[in-house]
Amino acid sequence: MGSRGSLVAVLVALGAVLLPTSAGAIPAFARKYGVACSVCHTNWPRLNRFGIEFRDNGYRMNRERDNPVTQPGTYWPLAFRTTVGYQYLAQTDVPVQPTASNPNGLTTTQTGTFGFAGLDILTAGTLGEQINFLVVYTPSLAGAGFQTSPGAIEDSDLESAWVGFTRLFGTPFLNVRVGKASPDLPVDEHRTYWLTVPHQIYFFQAQGTAVTYSPGDNQAGVEVYGHSELSNFRYSVQLANEGGQPLFSANWVSNPVLWGHVQYFHLTGNDFLVSIEPGVFGAAGWQATRYLNDPTGTAPVSGTGYSMQNYYRIGGELHFQFLSAVNPLTLDGAVMFGSDSSALINGGFNSDGTPTQSAQWMGGFAELTWTPSPFLTLGFMYQRIATLQQGSTDFSHAIGDYDSWGLLVRYYIELTSRAGVALHAEFSQAATTTGGLPSGVGPPQGTTLLLGIDFAY
Amino acid sequence: MTLHRPQIAALLGIAGLALLTGATDTTPKPVPIDQALARKGEAVYTRNCVSCHGELGDGRGYSAQWLEPRPRDFTSGVFKCRSTPSGTLPVNEDLLRTLNVGFFHTYMPPWAVLGEPSLRAVIEYIKTFSPKWKEEAPGTPIVIPPEPADDEASRKRGALVWKNNQCEKCHGPNGKGDGPAVPTLRDDWGFPDPPFNFVASPNRKCGNTNADLYRTFMTGVNGSPMPSFGDSISPQEAWDLVHYILTLRQPAGSEYNIAVHY
Repeated sequence: MGSRGSLVAVLVALGAVLLPTSAGAIPAFARKYGVACSVCHTNWPRLNRFGIEFRDNGYRMNRERDNPVTQPGTYWPLAFRTTVGYQYLAQTDVPVQPTASNPNGLTTTQTGTFGFAGLDILTAGTLGEQINFLVVYTPSLAGAGFQTSPGAIEDSDLESAWVGFTRLFGTPFLNVRVGKASPDLPVDEHRTYWLTVPHQIYFFQAQGTAVTYSPGDNQAGVEVYGHSELSNFRYSVQLANEGGQPLFSANWVSNPVLWGHVQYFHLTGNDFLVSIEPGVFGAAGWQATRYLNDPTGTAPVSGTGYSMQNYYRIGGELHFQFLSAVNPLTLDGAVMFGSDSSALINGGFNSDGTPTQSAQWMGGFAELTWTPSPFLTLGFMYQRIATLQQGSTDFSHAIGDYDSWGLLVRYYIELTSRAGVALHAEFSQAATTTGGLPSGVGPPQGTTLLLGIDFAY
Repeated sequence: MTLHRPQIAALLGIAGLALLTGATDTTPKPVPIDQALARKGEAVYTRNCVSCHGELGDGRGYSAQWLEPRPRDFTSGVFKCRSTPSGTLPVNEDLLRTLNVGFFHTYMPPWAVLGEPSLRAVIEYIKTFSPKWKEEAPGTPIVIPPEPADDEASRKRGALVWKNNQCEKCHGPNGKGDGPAVPTLRDDWGFPDPPFNFVASPNRKCGNTNADLYRTFMTGVNGSPMPSFGDSISPQEAWDLVHYILTLRQPAGSEYNIAVHY
């Protein structure tokens, strides 16, 4: 057999091994309800309409089989997920020592690493008649090897920990979550297919700003949310402390930030355009800009902050499903406008002593995802964020602007009621405009290829 | 050609016979399965139903071994909750109602969120599992008369219906599902099939409305030990029984219903 014949034989054998044998499940809830994971997920981890309704109902199917006392004593709602494999990274315009052959002192680095992308150890479910919970623990990932998302390599932490109370006063329009939870987002950042490119509008910050609030990160706070019986109409308002602030304002809620989101899902009854889902979202936050100092007069004292200054985000979204409600071609788009008060930029002053102005930016993403079957997902995403107004004259206009695109294929080789395994291939390019580069040199660009095995149990 | 009187008489006779035959053959014909719709339904079934009901629709999905009660075997063409007489196939609206609401006290969730087009498609696909759908027509739905007043007299009469029809043999003297026959109760597939506990939960398997309860008495629960009483009790008696059974429910936490409200 020639080399081409050998290659074909290997591919055929590999295909036979990898062919899916059955539909599958999300581990913790699949063990509880016996349903396939494709019931709640278009393809995991992304939720479909059933999954959204299930989550909104407090992880309940409401058939009197939800609460702990209805479960066998051996049931334990524990699951984990990680991705192992290979990641290639190339980064242009990395500063190095100039040489005669490289007078600009810029080079392109390349790394190829074997490792893992992260680990979520999670437990979720019901605690009682109208009480539910989620706890996600992420151990230290110092040895992860992959550089996949903001904050992926950091100390161990409770990524999420909340208790929810559902159907207060008997209505699905009033529910409460208390603890560290994800803001309700247009496309859920914690259930995205993408492993190398986050939805950047959830994380973007203006140049020189003191604002650290990222709706893409889980926030400690309290969320009031509600929905219609089938979750076609949904709303959420979350009050949180702005994360990452070492100093807090002297308020009953220090450095408060409010996140709000409203969505409406409509089945059209049309075979081509199956559904439309518009929505609006936004945030308003307040941050202290002045503090009392300690007796030495050198260090600000936590909890004395005053002179609150505002920042806000506002956006709109549209989601379309084409061809099928079951295995859809999905187009998701969102745009967001951000504005930070001038006092939050560079402490309120440019380096030349003149006052700063408010920083404004606008960004968005368009994501096209096709799920021809519960075993396959193909995705494309384009993102762009542009500065409308720099807050400080210290920064040229385009600094911080962001462009990226990506392609992915996920093929689910095992989907059972106990575990799920997906082969994940993802390619992405992202460029962020920086200052100080010689004329004619484009913005630094990162290229990422991830070939991984994503699995959950 | 000229027809003579005997020939005309013969023709009229044949025509009359044909008309008579047509008029007396009132057996409903099977409704052909909409294959195009069934193909759409296959995608819905593969995604949502296979894990419990199995690829062959035989109720032997890979999760079935863990589920109690077991998922329905569609190859039998036997369905629990119908508006049609005992032993007959259900009409589409019966299956749609089951899909929309699910089954309380089982792992069958409500599927209304999928939308009616998807549910009607999967109903058509489910029919492909059993030859019964090609051989028989669905039964004719029973007529549910308007509900009379739920008063003391009706409940008392209902208690008598309960007693006369030996309901307590299975459901127990207080309706807790603890009658003496319980150990012997099996479904058509040989699995234990305990009777409903009317004390513990207001959420009955075939629906929560009074009309749902009436319908269950009069059509039975196919595949289970619960028979139809459509031939043995009158509509008035069935409504009286509904009113009596509603009195059996006890509040959660009461001495008759401790720790069963979950």
